Amino acid sequence: MKKDFSIVGKSVPRNDGKAKATGTATYTDDIKLPGMLHGKILRSPFPHARILNIDTSRAASLPGVKCVITGEDTPKIKYGNWRLFPDTQDEYPLAIDKVRFIGDEVAAVAAVDADTAEEALELIKVDYEELPGIFDIDSAIKEGAPVLHDYCPGNISVNRKIHYGDIEKAFAESDYVREDVFNVHAVSPAYLEPCAAVAQCDLDGRITLWTSTQVPYIVQCLLASTMGMRENDVRVIKPFVGGGFGGKMELRTWEFCAAFIAKKTGRPVKFTMTREEEFLAGRRRHAMKLYSKVGFKKDGTLTGKDLRIYLDGGGYNAMGPTATFLCGTFGAMLYRYPNYRFWGQHVYTNKPPASAMRGFGAPQSLFATESQMNIAAEELGIDPIELRIKNAQVTGDEIPDVATISSCGFIEALQKAAEMSGWKEKRYSPKPGQGIGIGCYSFISGGVFNWFNTQFPFSAAEVRVFDDGTAHLLTMAADIGQGCDTVLKQILAEELGLKMEDIRITSADTSTTPQADLGAWGSRLTMMNGNAVLDAAKKIKAQLFGAVSARQNLNVIHELGCKDGMVFPKSRPDRGIPFGEAVAMAQKANRGEPLVERGYYTPRDKGLVTPAFSFGAQISEVEVDKDTGVVRVKKFWTAHDCGTVINQMAVEGQLEGSIQMGLGYALSEQFVMEDGKTLNTNFLDYKMPNAMDVPPSEVAHIETYEPEGPMGAKEAGEGLAIPTAPAIADAVHHATGYRCKDLPITPEKILAGKKD
Amino acid sequence: MRLSHFDYYAPTTVADAISLLQSKPDAHVMAGGTDLLIKMRHAGLKLKTIISLKSISGLNTIAFDETKGLTIGATALLADVAIHPDILKYYPTVAQAARGTANVQVRNMGTVIGNLCNASPAADNAPTLLAMGAEVHIQGPSGKRTVPLDQFFKGPGMTALEPAEIVTAVHVPRLTPHSGTAYISLSARGQLDCSAVGVATMVTLKEKVCEDTRIFVGACGPTPIRVPKAETIVRGKELTDDLIDQAGVQASAEATPITDVRASADYREKMVAVLTRRVLSQARKRASE
Repeated sequence: MKKDFSIVGKSVPRNDGKAKATGTATYTDDIKLPGMLHGKILRSPFPHARILNIDTSRAASLPGVKCVITGEDTPKIKYGNWRLFPDTQDEYPLAIDKVRFIGDEVAAVAAVDADTAEEALELIKVDYEELPGIFDIDSAIKEGAPVLHDYCPGNISVNRKIHYGDIEKAFAESDYVREDVFNVHAVSPAYLEPCAAVAQCDLDGRITLWTSTQVPYIVQCLLASTMGMRENDVRVIKPFVGGGFGGKMELRTWEFCAAFIAKKTGRPVKFTMTREEEFLAGRRRHAMKLYSKVGFKKDGTLTGKDLRIYLDGGGYNAMGPTATFLCGTFGAMLYRYPNYRFWGQHVYTNKPPASAMRGFGAPQSLFATESQMNIAAEELGIDPIELRIKNAQVTGDEIPDVATISSCGFIEALQKAAEMSGWKEKRYSPKPGQGIGIGCYSFISGGVFNWFNTQFPFSAAEVRVFDDGTAHLLTMAADIGQGCDTVLKQILAEELGLKMEDIRITSADTSTTPQADLGAWGSRLTMMNGNAVLDAAKKIKAQLFGAVSARQNLNVIHELGCKDGMVFPKSRPDRGIPFGEAVAMAQKANRGEPLVERGYYTPRDKGLVTPAFSFGAQISEVEVDKDTGVVRVKKFWTAHDCGTVINQMAVEGQLEGSIQMGLGYALSEQFVMEDGKTLNTNFLDYKMPNAMDVPPSEVAHIETYEPEGPMGAKEAGEGLAIPTAPAIADAVHHATGYRCKDLPITPEKILAGKKD
Repeated sequence: MRLSHFDYYAPTTVADAISLLQSKPDAHVMAGGTDLLIKMRHAGLKLKTIISLKSISGLNTIAFDETKGLTIGATALLADVAIHPDILKYYPTVAQAARGTANVQVRNMGTVIGNLCNASPAADNAPTLLAMGAEVHIQGPSGKRTVPLDQFFKGPGMTALEPAEIVTAVHVPRLTPHSGTAYISLSARGQLDCSAVGVATMVTLKEKVCEDTRIFVGACGPTPIRVPKAETIVRGKELTDDLIDQAGVQASAEATPITDVRASADYREKMVAVLTRRVLSQARKRASE
């Protein structure tokens, strides 16, 4: 199935690289409109409290303050991304009656400048009745625990079960059964651009919102419903965005407040979060408690898995329902489990809501899977890579109720990673204090589920072509730094035989780009939008081929192609016509109507989870200081299968970023919390690794061809964030004898657990 | 947080700076501002007056003299101290501590003296200078005085400075022959981090005997602290590995760490032993080279 590509597969510099590197890229906070007000949010100082009264009068009378709002001023309509199940929509833009975490949004002020707005916050008097708070899963699910939401007396807001085969029988027939409890912690997406939004209201009452989001269409819909407006009266524009990682995929308070106050005052309003607010109250990866039981035959064949997961959801659902669903799905990926049982429960606690974050349930679920594979390998006396190869999923495998895997390079990835890293030598003849370990992943290329209940196709693209040989691509796909503008342009350029510079792109404006798009999450854009772009491009080509065929008086049996700026019969390349001329001919044939086509993609008949799966293996080598417990990762080797690599440089960038994130998840990042209060709300004390901490790494692309993907491509954005923590944990065990089941792997835990 | 409105002065002589401080008792002195402005922006410090020392010529001098030793002026940058050829040659640990402070941006603005005057128990530059017996030169309304650095720190954020006094320089004596220094710090992140614990020492050998030593521990008490009993263990004795181990255990007993966001008291206590051991053997090696 592999093809010769001209642009696809190359290292093409990013569309936005120059603008970002030179500082000319306009982010939301850079937007300044005449008469614009600056907003600030008053947040709850208590983890759990009833609001008895709010007095805003002093704040409102501070000179320079133009508007103060509380929940009472708003239409009191709840929102949440699971529109299909309104019961899960548990959040108001501003608190009504109760606050559920320190940082919960209580009131908003807009003033002539940010300092005045901030000063006004101190003048708002809120009377609270403090309620007992719960800060961990065990206390939250205990009988008689304080209740966060009246509708949910046991604090468990989502239940998800999966069951196939006969798990009890499988364990009874196993030679070896292993049961472990894993605890994984919350971490921050720590995108470099804190959230921001600017809203403007026109004289007809329509809203335009510029916002740092991954999901312009979802924000448009939820903002409209929460404001009590029609969707078409809300326009959402995504400017340059400095990262999201899942933390910007919902409607958020400041987006609502900016729009609401803009409508109320008639003046544009800007809200920009501070880094402290992001760490104090921002979305984060779920902490989870995982009970995992796996069975094997003596020869290492997996017999089944029983997985029980509690998600520490924080005060609201946010994207927790999807994470609950997905961590169960991920539990049955990578390996062949003939019998599988999963029960996931999403638990409310008085902490900032956890939500989507790069991997969406997989880094946690697969940390347990991968750690347990390594434990089992050791106890069964089988090499961890051999054990994996024995149980690895392969092309054509069916995951019950999920999908049939249509391409899979997992075994090749395992073999390649072992070869690149010198696994055998380093694993079996280790040097003192050094260790080598492995972690693997599989991930979805976008979700098939539609809990948002969009009435549109999952993705859309519009392609306009011009007689000067250029094209204009319009898409609602949100480039948030991951590079989809570049990748989509590459796919279009390849299909139409144009150069990158021939293509203009307009993206992520809900009033001008074609309806609709579910956004940048779940590693869906290359798959979903790539296919929509291809669909539109193929329709354009059909028109061009008709025109060229007529002009050249070609026999109907000729196939035509587009390459190097020419449209030509494949058997007679010499009779080609320049792309622009072909466009002019088609346009003339249509009596002047511009040549515009729309393409769409919705995964159908592809199961309930995803149309395609990525795979990969990562090996890490570490050195552990036996006296201090400090871990230094010396090197990573990664072999991964993302189908066709569309852009080498972009995929390698994803890998580098994933390693940096995985390194922090494994070793240093955590929220230091005391009774619901976050104590490390800055980058000094939130220990995110920086460029100097990232070790060297080598990568091998195991190219497969995914039949469902555009030009054979699959995801490369999130899966790579999964293997780093289990690979480091395994290497640390190899070096010290300490097996971490409780992330992060801190020096203290190593010192307490090491075997000399 | 709202940055309060403040008056900004940039006097050109130390005398002018002192009279300004006298006439504006709530004024604050600033060198690089890398601590002060953060406190104003994020920790609610509201100042009415800032007096910058940056325009005082000569105050950023780094001077080395074969007999007198090293003098680092109040506005000498961490970045300059880190790469100064004489410091690298004669005071390598002083350069190392400066190089290990914060990040490039902070080192290009911040100063060694500022790091000392901020009086954080975790200040990276303090333990080495303390171990080497440095002293600070202070100038104020009643003239000049010199205070040994080990009497300068009074608590977190507190120093021996009297009202309207300014630290103009820190002076570090030359290492005596057969002496060596070492400083090691630990933090949760490998690079660019604030130390969770640090230990510095200076060791003077006579043959294999430890003639003298000073050991200081950072981030394990309200100020960088000296561990005199650990020093006593090795002083006057042959500096064996075994003795070094004992000194580490003793230093750990003398440290009074707390648990905070950067590390637990227990881990800090253990690390004081490890780091003390390591700095003593490093310094021993350097002293015998």
